[in-house]
Amino acid sequence: MEEKPLTGFRVLDFTWVRAGPWAARWMATLGAEVIKVEWPDPRLAMNGRYGGADGGPMASRPPGVPPGPNSSGHFSDNNAGKDSVTINVRSAAGFDAVKRLIAMSDVLIENYSSQVMESWGLGYDELVKIKPDIIYVSMAGLGHTGRNHDYQTMGNIVQALSGLTHSSGLPDVEPAGWGWSYMDDTGGMYGAMSVLTALYHRRSTGQGQYVDLSQVAAGMTLLGPAFLDLDVNGRGSRREGYPAGNRAAWPGAPLVNNYRGQTVAPHNTYRTAGGGDNDWCVIACFSDEEWRALVQVMGSPEWAHEQRFATFAGRLEHQIDLDRNIEAWTQEQDKYAVMDRCQAAGVRAAPVQTNEDRVDNDPQLKARNAYVPAPHAVLGTFPLQNAPFTFSETPAVTDRAGPLVGEHNIAILNGKLGFSIEDIRAGYADGTFWPASVPIEPYLVAALDAHSAQGTSGHDSAGHESTVRS
Amino acid sequence: MTQERFSAGPFGDVRVLELADVKGEWCGKLMADLGADVIKIEPPGGAPEREIGPFYHEEVHPERSLHFWHYNTSKRGVTLNIETEDGRALFRQLVATADVLLETTRPGYLASLGLGYEQLRALNPRLVMCSLTDFGQTGPWRDYLGSDLIHLAAGGQMESCGYSDEDVPGAPPIAPGGGNGWHMGSHYAYIAIVTALIWRSFSGKGQYIDTSVHGAAALTTEMKVPMWIYSRMHVRRQTGRQSVPIPTPRGQFLCKDGKYITTGGGGGRFAPPRLRVLAEWMDQHGFAEDLLDEQYADAAFIDQRQSHIGEVLERFCAGITSEQAYHGAQQRGFVWGAVRAPEDIVQDPHWDDRGFWTEVAHPELGETFTYPGASGIYSASPWQISRRAPLIGEHNEDVFGALGVDRAHLAALREAGAV
Repeated sequence: MEEKPLTGFRVLDFTWVRAGPWAARWMATLGAEVIKVEWPDPRLAMNGRYGGADGGPMASRPPGVPPGPNSSGHFSDNNAGKDSVTINVRSAAGFDAVKRLIAMSDVLIENYSSQVMESWGLGYDELVKIKPDIIYVSMAGLGHTGRNHDYQTMGNIVQALSGLTHSSGLPDVEPAGWGWSYMDDTGGMYGAMSVLTALYHRRSTGQGQYVDLSQVAAGMTLLGPAFLDLDVNGRGSRREGYPAGNRAAWPGAPLVNNYRGQTVAPHNTYRTAGGGDNDWCVIACFSDEEWRALVQVMGSPEWAHEQRFATFAGRLEHQIDLDRNIEAWTQEQDKYAVMDRCQAAGVRAAPVQTNEDRVDNDPQLKARNAYVPAPHAVLGTFPLQNAPFTFSETPAVTDRAGPLVGEHNIAILNGKLGFSIEDIRAGYADGTFWPASVPIEPYLVAALDAHSAQGTSGHDSAGHESTVRS
Repeated sequence: MTQERFSAGPFGDVRVLELADVKGEWCGKLMADLGADVIKIEPPGGAPEREIGPFYHEEVHPERSLHFWHYNTSKRGVTLNIETEDGRALFRQLVATADVLLETTRPGYLASLGLGYEQLRALNPRLVMCSLTDFGQTGPWRDYLGSDLIHLAAGGQMESCGYSDEDVPGAPPIAPGGGNGWHMGSHYAYIAIVTALIWRSFSGKGQYIDTSVHGAAALTTEMKVPMWIYSRMHVRRQTGRQSVPIPTPRGQFLCKDGKYITTGGGGGRFAPPRLRVLAEWMDQHGFAEDLLDEQYADAAFIDQRQSHIGEVLERFCAGITSEQAYHGAQQRGFVWGAVRAPEDIVQDPHWDDRGFWTEVAHPELGETFTYPGASGIYSASPWQISRRAPLIGEHNEDVFGALGVDRAHLAALREAGAV
């Protein structure tokens, strides 16, 4: 296999739900060996493995796949490329095994609430005793420092507390907010960015470190101009005309900047043919030249030549008429036709794309290899969301589905930690490597039996004792 | 490492050339605040991002853009016209000293000037060059133009954001504010660049990275894509909560102070012991209604009464402030959050405890302002804003001087329109 850019690094992934797994997922795509340490108790449904097993609105379980710990497509995508080992950190033998894994890893990343790792005896002070140059990234919502560090968050709470929810919607009604956990995606990005930054620093200095990431703080930094407007000009964001929907400025409200770029018009959503919930397009003109090009694309209608639409000031003042006239034109066309016609003339336009549109209809994402099919033993073969970047010298493709729970138990427990096959079998029975209250997955037992039959119950010579690139 | 470290930040030995507009300036800022020597290359007269408001005291002026201030901290700034031969010569000299070139120009533009990756690599084989463009260097949309709004439409953000029809009939899909299309692109560019730097530390080789805002945005909708891939499900927009295939109970409620609280969704779904905790808290404010009744010890009864419980919850929230709701809930283990605006956030001492706010001096104005700080606290390699955003051409003498350009030569270059 061709070497990926981070081949040789080992990451211990103690993450759950979404933001943390998404962070560690990128380390796997980039070539690091990512070991997800799990405890498969269905009562801990928030590990995401059981998401959608009830057929509820979060379902991503393909038709015909029975519910279980390996039935969530979302989990597979979110944990693509990782290995899975099941260890009970709260058992003495499991705790010892985890400490030995830490000793041979470069990075430990987790997104539990703030005192969980310390309660396990795995706070940073303990980690450095085990591995002096370990990189430890924690991702609690409010961080591990500060008076409210023990508060808990989910993505939507991070968005509310950071000001992001308030920035989304129409004026004079409640915030629309974000219709998904943007800060699970973006909190995950900051987790991955923190790991990489600390790894780079360790490459230059030999020093490990602890990054106490706060997802809410990360969200706040995304609203910098609004905070500066408050400090410099005394202008808050609870004001007339804010947030301005899809416009740069709300008609009739004082003409101030709303932190989404230049204050221009047209800059809005318009209905397109079809009449569906997502039959909308967007158009934005950032210069008079772009506006004149749009007028030509629309067939140079008489209204568009009215003097009141000739300048930004005029178009902003008369936005309601401007938008109504533009929509009369877009409404007759398919949303992709609007994009193609406008863009061919140098006018910024795009369709509002659904999840189906992106996966099945978007020719650009297709050309850019955005979805890569990968087999999964329980789900079948489905596309994974692939990295949006390519490197000229090293591959970095998301091409391996998420692991079955405990799929790499033998490779890790036996191959890296030296437990015999019989030790593992005993650990499945005594609550060290599998919860006593949960029926064991048959493939885990079958794997042990196959291994015993080969007579390789000792050390797996293929295992790495320490990381290649430490 | 061949270069000396010049700052204590994690990127203290990294020099980045930033030939970037709104798409990439956030990536440059993140690296600059972590110690990289980021040299922002602007056209003579200044970058167009300087025209983006809001402005200091409403003065529409290229040195007064608060947008520019926020997105360009800790960078040095030079002016350079790479469409002149002298400008290109200086650019090539700079590239020879750089670790990273981050550029956001249209696909093919730099190559048309003789400044494509192949030419630049010949000058500096260790160069990591990252092109962050709207749609990428390849594909049928590669020459299409983007904007924040365009990317939030095509990327799928707007599919999910908006209002339930009963709340705002006929509302369009909503693009959330704040320029987050650019943030998404910059985050993936950052990941790719730092990865390439780590790989270079082993291989000694640079590389070329092709990434796009559209690709980044399309990856930033959490479970929406898996919902289609695995379940062929579409989602519907719902006010203040997740877009999902079916209608769900409200989770965002109005409080006494006119602000909102996000209760985490789920309406009236509580386990009996948790409902008891909630009801006792409500009772302290006189809003428990019938929820302390013994019948609620039965999970089946709670199931039947879910919508009623949701209504009581809504009336309770309307009777207390959003901050009372936030802290009261969190202290009882409920995962709620106040829907805050910046003016609410700056009141929260938690962020002072973390040292989040950062004072940045603006000597040109004789004033100091409070900037948002770091997402994370680095124990060994501190984050810091080392200086305010550069003035136009502020570091021309420093940066070009280090290449051997003396003052007289610089004046001649200025005269010729090269800098």
